[in-house]
Amino acid sequence: MIGSRREAIIGRALLILLMAFTVLPFVSLFTTALQPSGTYPLGLEWPAHPQWGNFTQAFKAAQMGSLLESSALIVAGVVPVSVLIATMAGFAIGHLRVPGSRLAFLLFLVGLTLPFEGVITPLYYEVQGMGLLNTRWAIILPLIGLFMPFSVYWMRAHFVTAPAELTDAARTDGVNTWQLFWRIHVPLARPAISSLTILLFLWTWNQFLLAIVLVDDPTKRTMAGALGAFQGQWGTNIPLLCAGSLIILVPTLLVFLAFQRHFVVALLQGSLKG
Amino acid sequence: MSVQVRASRRRGGALAVAMLGLLAAATACSAPGSPQAQGTAGASAAPATSTASATSAAAACGTAPVTMDAYIETGFQVPNSLMAEFTKQYPNVKWNIRQDQFAVITQNAPRVLASDPPDIMRLPSISDLVKDGLLKNLDGYATAYGWDKWPSSELVQLRLGPGGRPRGEGSLYAMGLNYSMTGVFYNKKLAARIGMTSAPATLAELDQDLAKAKQAGITPIVQFNGGATGGFAFPLQDLMAAYGPPGPINDWIFNKPGATINTPANLQAAQHLAQWIKAGYFEADANAMDYPTMISRFTHNSGLFTFDGDWESGNFDKLMPGQAGFFLMPPAQAGGPHAAMSAPLTYGIAAKAKHADCAAFFLNWVATNPVARTIDVQVGGSHPLGASGASMPAIKAGTVTAQTLAAGSVIGKENGSMDFIANATGAIYASAWTPELQKLFAGKETPSGLLSTVQADYKQELGG
Amino acid sequence: MLDLSTGRHPAAREPAGSRRAPRRKPGARRAARARWAGWLFVVPALGMYGLFVLRPLALTIQYSLYQWDGIGPSTWTGLGNYATVFSDPALLAIIGNAFKLIVAFSVVPVLLGLAVAVVIRRISASRLALTARTVLFLPQVIPLVAAGIAWSWLLSSTGVANQFLSAIGLGGITRAWLGDFSTALPAVGLIGAWVLVGLCTVLLMSGMTKIDPSLYEAARIDGAGLWREFTAVTLPSIRQEIAVCVTVTVIAALASFDIVYISTQGGPGEATMVPGLEIYELAFSHRQVGLASALAVVLIVLVLACVLPIQRLARKGAQ
Repeated sequence: MIGSRREAIIGRALLILLMAFTVLPFVSLFTTALQPSGTYPLGLEWPAHPQWGNFTQAFKAAQMGSLLESSALIVAGVVPVSVLIATMAGFAIGHLRVPGSRLAFLLFLVGLTLPFEGVITPLYYEVQGMGLLNTRWAIILPLIGLFMPFSVYWMRAHFVTAPAELTDAARTDGVNTWQLFWRIHVPLARPAISSLTILLFLWTWNQFLLAIVLVDDPTKRTMAGALGAFQGQWGTNIPLLCAGSLIILVPTLLVFLAFQRHFVVALLQGSLKG
Repeated sequence: MSVQVRASRRRGGALAVAMLGLLAAATACSAPGSPQAQGTAGASAAPATSTASATSAAAACGTAPVTMDAYIETGFQVPNSLMAEFTKQYPNVKWNIRQDQFAVITQNAPRVLASDPPDIMRLPSISDLVKDGLLKNLDGYATAYGWDKWPSSELVQLRLGPGGRPRGEGSLYAMGLNYSMTGVFYNKKLAARIGMTSAPATLAELDQDLAKAKQAGITPIVQFNGGATGGFAFPLQDLMAAYGPPGPINDWIFNKPGATINTPANLQAAQHLAQWIKAGYFEADANAMDYPTMISRFTHNSGLFTFDGDWESGNFDKLMPGQAGFFLMPPAQAGGPHAAMSAPLTYGIAAKAKHADCAAFFLNWVATNPVARTIDVQVGGSHPLGASGASMPAIKAGTVTAQTLAAGSVIGKENGSMDFIANATGAIYASAWTPELQKLFAGKETPSGLLSTVQADYKQELGG
Repeated sequence: MLDLSTGRHPAAREPAGSRRAPRRKPGARRAARARWAGWLFVVPALGMYGLFVLRPLALTIQYSLYQWDGIGPSTWTGLGNYATVFSDPALLAIIGNAFKLIVAFSVVPVLLGLAVAVVIRRISASRLALTARTVLFLPQVIPLVAAGIAWSWLLSSTGVANQFLSAIGLGGITRAWLGDFSTALPAVGLIGAWVLVGLCTVLLMSGMTKIDPSLYEAARIDGAGLWREFTAVTLPSIRQEIAVCVTVTVIAALASFDIVYISTQGGPGEATMVPGLEIYELAFSHRQVGLASALAVVLIVLVLACVLPIQRLARKGAQ
């Protein structure tokens, strides 16, 4: 009993230490953001005159309104389409077992561990050839493609365990394939679909490489890509940079805190299945 | 269990087949790249003749609203002030300004000029960009606006032969917003503390001042060397000019055939720099210091000397009025000639720019309009381009701006102007000078190793 | 009427002794139509994937066999670029950096995660643990560039790290951690560890909660000490989770881009240059598309070479 209490104390201490370590950079960003613009503050110190104005200045300099809109548009372009076509493909491969589905699945697997840097160079010339450089489509279309391996794998993993009896019964009733998919199996797949949606939302919002290579205009990038541009432009003004970074962080944090349970579950399941 | 093993083996085999298929498809396709690329060096050799008549504002920028795309460098107010003034005088022209740090611009230049061409852009080294046909040939504008009647030394660094080599002669491919003068700035208050009453006249005297500062507990040199831009190139090149003539250095920067940076004089210079490093004359975190940090520290009296240029004069006069002094790098021999890095603040027009005529008009306006020239000097601190004898604003005596401007005439008389060694090729600053200088500071590189590595990289970039 | 195109999962329960009677003739046409309709479901995903992943992948392989500046004509060099990748000491060092990062990105988070997961086993349902789960996850939610910016400032010469060191009397070793040749790569590793430690901890914690406590009882009864308990009960049960942790973190280390781009740009010198960033610079700054593509292919192969054995080990262990 004493052993377990000591274990509990050590455990609590470790957790608290880890949490402090995790939160430290955010605190550092915050206190630095409040320092006078253009200065180089020393470590963690609460400023004598907190410059809340830095946040307004960073908001305007970063054009936060356009950034939010841009990221939202990109997410709206990427996530629904990706989830839909991946669910369809996962259904066909995992449940319908269409002929050649094994080959198709293997093809998708090829891309599962593919680092984006592996294809970014030809992707640039391909998007340039399509005339889409420096538009949001330059991020949206390739991302849909790049998300397919994981998304199809994820949805297939669900559909493989979907009960065949339902399908048999439906077929007997003369239901066609689309109705079978949309009316019967999609509602069953709701947990998997919502987890996938959350994952893809996160990965799209935080996408950086595609944004900085394929899009020059920060207001047409993702938030993460715009942060890169913000650092390029204001990086030498540390308090302003910290203020801008915090502002760009806030939407993701808010969404995360609101849906935290779903997030964590989704990310854990995502890693396990991947 | 066995099903899984068999399945995974079949999976592995099928994967291999898939990859081989991809490989076959890849090699079977035709080679990448177009045999007739748009804008090869030959194509842009012929200057645009239609611009001969488009020299008035109405013809160049039109009267309808026009939005110019400008890609400029952060941290320097001059372009912003000039563009604001231009809009005041020509209200139909608005500016869409994108700003980035110099290192980022260097990295982005080829890509941005090719895919998202701005009308006017701050340019790092231009020879690679000319080779790829990304910059507009400005000969037509030069004839129309009379730029070729200016002192030739102003634009010589912006002229390139066909294919981008050599530099220093040929067609004009970029312009400047002004031209800079570099040397050594010093803190007058700290100088008084060590009894330094006048600028050192020889390299030996400078060494003495450095030693005195170190003994007095003052940081002798505040110099940035961090990030992607190794600022030790400034003292290194100044030492090179102190030990030898600027001619061979310019030849190397201009990619003249057979030029080398690995000369005996330059080796002495690098060794001298290494001595300064070993004596602890620089700040301990120089390798992590970026340019704005250096300025911030210098203006807060944290060091005696800094190797910088007159683009900072206006700033020094504002932040430490009357406290900053300037002198040209002293020669090794008493009474020897002076040399300094002096280069145009390079701005170019993309070959595919949408408003090239208006951009050229703006560049001409900067060099000829009296208000623009005043802004150039007062905000930028550097000498505007243009005909000799063109209007210059009155400069207050005793300001460091006055000193840097005066130094310009010395360099002009002694023919001692050099371009920056960082501009020899598009990538040599980021890939050779900066890493090597950072290693030199950390004691991981020898002076001769530094020069030979840079020379090897130079040859590889030009040959390949 | 049974549809011949629906498959049956091997694990699905089949009524004992029954067999699906193949009835081709009556439902053949409907079956065929259903089969092709099924394929229509795969086409969109396959199409986007083929166009934006497989085609670029093939092109990367193709580009790697040429010398090309991205604008003009290209020249065939066969395996010349690969020879450069494997002989140029600078490029080899860059690949080496990626492997060195594995120590910080992978080993540290996994070990730390295991330690925490083990120690908090008994309080894993407490409010503290649930709050910790949220807090520790924050680094996974923010963009990696934000983490890079925050840590760049923290590790600078006037940042919190040095402030802390001075406070505990180690002021002598303060420096600009990301600007010093000997500490830059470990400092980048620290950033990565910060990002990934939360993921591993939460993953392993959740894996631990699934372990049947009676197993521990049994071990205790057999006289097993803490260590035996750990190796005999805990480790085997969370093998899958550990494999996932290791896979995700190893890929993050080898393919790292965002953090290095925003914090050091590969410097000082080339001390923190990683393959991902080098590919980007070679292709878009130095205009050496062929060499960049060769490095990209090598990176892809390396990732596979590291990940596949891990997966195989995990699967073998599960049997």
